[in-house]
Amino acid sequence: MPNREAKFKIVLLAIPFFAPVLNAQSVTPSSPAMKQQSSNVSRVPDLTGPWAVPGGSPSLDPDDPRGARPEQLPMTPWAIERMKGVRPPFGAHATFEAVNDPVQKYCDPPGVTRLYLYPWNFSLVQGPGVVYILYEFMGFWRPVALGREHPKDPDLTWMGDSIGKYEGDTFVVDTIGFNDKTWIDQVGHPHSDQLHLIERFRRVNPDSLEVSLTFDDPKAYPKPFTVKRTFKRSMAPMEETVCSLTEMQSFDDEVMKTTTTQTPRK
Amino acid sequence: MKSSLFVAFCLAAGFLQFVGTVSAHHGVSGYDMDKVITVSGTVTSFDWSNPHCLVHIDVKDSKGENKDWIIELAAPTIMKRNGWSKDSMKPGDAVVAETHPARNGATTGLSGAATTLLKFVVNGHALPSQSQ
Repeated sequence: MPNREAKFKIVLLAIPFFAPVLNAQSVTPSSPAMKQQSSNVSRVPDLTGPWAVPGGSPSLDPDDPRGARPEQLPMTPWAIERMKGVRPPFGAHATFEAVNDPVQKYCDPPGVTRLYLYPWNFSLVQGPGVVYILYEFMGFWRPVALGREHPKDPDLTWMGDSIGKYEGDTFVVDTIGFNDKTWIDQVGHPHSDQLHLIERFRRVNPDSLEVSLTFDDPKAYPKPFTVKRTFKRSMAPMEETVCSLTEMQSFDDEVMKTTTTQTPRK
Repeated sequence: MKSSLFVAFCLAAGFLQFVGTVSAHHGVSGYDMDKVITVSGTVTSFDWSNPHCLVHIDVKDSKGENKDWIIELAAPTIMKRNGWSKDSMKPGDAVVAETHPARNGATTGLSGAATTLLKFVVNGHALPSQSQ
């Protein structure tokens, strides 16, 4: 219905700016799709946020959050070979100006899971039939469709194809169709185009959101693994945080090239 | 205005742990995070822009020569959340700043990142700072 869509667009545009004052614990399903998929609950959780990303844990290896031993995460030979070519900005193999991180060098999209590691906020906008996840870093956003299945042969994209459903107080997002151009974390753990990512969002108290990430990628990792992160609700509105190649180049010339010369990892 | 460079250092076991928790988009391996020095001088520019805010400080070294120090801070969004603004300082201001110096001896330093903001005193007034 055009009126409903128009109203939703207005809300979508407004929420990042007013989200800090939206403190409700739940919202009422407002579309047939949402009502159908949440038939076992009368209300769905309000996951709006914005949610602040804590610093200090650049690795998504559940046993090595600081990336002190990036190779300890069990990987397939394909992933081990891929990892050898990585020169990341964080973790035990961190390097400075020799970095080949595609985000830092080219402002490439960081991919879904790295967006939970940069120190900027994110918000969820729970609309009828779709939930939008808005990331402050680089202004990325992704739609999570409610009430449909994945395409049989999805296009491979930076953010993949996401579908979602509510399971009680948890919002479960299922994503496939990733390209393999991104790292899963800041220490350079790779993933393939076979990655199947499950995100589970749950508000553990009024001011905290727990996000569980399950990676199932048989081409890169012999076994699925799960890592959890908890995010605090932020009172700061989401703002512009862009990655501009001209600004990055200027910073590179002014600071990076003069600050250090470190031998790249062999 | 007389300026000077003071070098102090902090070596503590806690700092080694602290290193792993500080993050800038490019990492911090170019800086000696075990050491904090203090530079003082005159602000020549304050760039409030991505990816990191930068302060240029004209600092007189021990030989009496003026050096251009570049102090790196966090991105504007994060600095704003720490209570800074584009007007926190301007050219001509007297500044005393703590910073983690470059490992290679260049006159650059890191004073602000996602989870830390070292002490900055501008014209005698301390700006908001935070530690891990």
